[in-house]
Amino acid sequence: MVFCWQHVTILQLNLLIDNLLPTQGVNKELEHKFVTEIENNQNIVHKVCSLYTTNRDAHNDLFQEITIQLWKAYPKFRGDSKFSTWMYRVALNTAITLYRKSKKSIKTQDFDSVIYRIKTEEYDATEEKQLQLMYKAVRQLGDIEKALVFLYLEDKDYSEISETLGISEVNARVKMNRVKNKLRTILNP
Amino acid sequence: MDELELLKKDWQKKEEHHPKLSYNEIYSMIKKKSSSTVKWIFYISIIEFVFWAVLNLISYSKESLELEKTWHIYEITTTLTIINYVVLIYFIYKFYSNYKLISLTESSKKLMKTILNVKRTVSQYVLFNIGIFVAYLLVSLYGNLNYGASSNKIREAASQSGNETLFWVMLFGMVLIAIAIVLILIWFFYKLLYGILLNRLRKNYTELKKLEV
Repeated sequence: MVFCWQHVTILQLNLLIDNLLPTQGVNKELEHKFVTEIENNQNIVHKVCSLYTTNRDAHNDLFQEITIQLWKAYPKFRGDSKFSTWMYRVALNTAITLYRKSKKSIKTQDFDSVIYRIKTEEYDATEEKQLQLMYKAVRQLGDIEKALVFLYLEDKDYSEISETLGISEVNARVKMNRVKNKLRTILNP
Repeated sequence: MDELELLKKDWQKKEEHHPKLSYNEIYSMIKKKSSSTVKWIFYISIIEFVFWAVLNLISYSKESLELEKTWHIYEITTTLTIINYVVLIYFIYKFYSNYKLISLTESSKKLMKTILNVKRTVSQYVLFNIGIFVAYLLVSLYGNLNYGASSNKIREAASQSGNETLFWVMLFGMVLIAIAIVLILIWFFYKLLYGILLNRLRKNYTELKKLEV
């Protein structure tokens, strides 16, 4: 019995150290390098947040969670892929699997992070309206569907999409076509 | 699809219109604590492991040892206890190694599968414990009825009730119903606890898995 207790305690300690003190013993240099990289590539995270949240609080919440997850995964980043590619994956994975929507993010719709419209030089009212409808339609998609649309909008090819989500390339195409059809149905009911 | 192309153009055009966080704002973020699902699963799992271990410890006092000896079930319960601890070590090892496998750099599907595996390990552990618990309960009941202090009284009541078989059937039926109610409550509690945490993840995982069929 005593033996087992020791076992539990050692395991607990190990896991707690892994979880709660990820920054222990990490030098300032690494922190600086990481924060600079994030600062330069923060658009990727903002874009993911804008797709998966509907107000400013939730946007900031998710941004923070993604940053924490990136930081936790950073020691394992070996640089065999581009920093931005690595960021896409961690950010999407956080949004799809780890993030818990808080209640306030469902209730209030005070801020639409995708549709904070820009005053473009050639302002086209019909195009503008169509775009708004498109963004609204994308919002209605499921988490995985959003991920597909996101990677598509980011101009990623199907091999990268399939690798990111963990499905075959053929299935990524099939799914993407289904999403397009779904968007069409939402737009023209 | 024209609209999607239009959207793509617009999407890439407005890169610069996202909020810009400063170096210090990002720096303060990495000092904050995560509130991710995995973290909650981890904490709840630890509580579960500790809960059942504590339950085992407090239910095993010196008096219960004496009682087991007089009830002639000492060998069986000792075997159950040994099995219990061997399996506990196995589960802790499995939980730990599964937990270590969680990596956000993996594909979404693999990541979700690993997280669900971690949770499954803990559920299996809890199920196993409930099994041991019920077995222990039944063995004690058997010991108590045959050798317990009030066993004679119960036997007398049985023979006086007129229909002895019916008496025993009802007695065991009541015990089984009580066990079933406790199990349903535990099951419901788990549904609630992990449902909140894992609903979304499980839904997304099923969606990806469905594609491969």
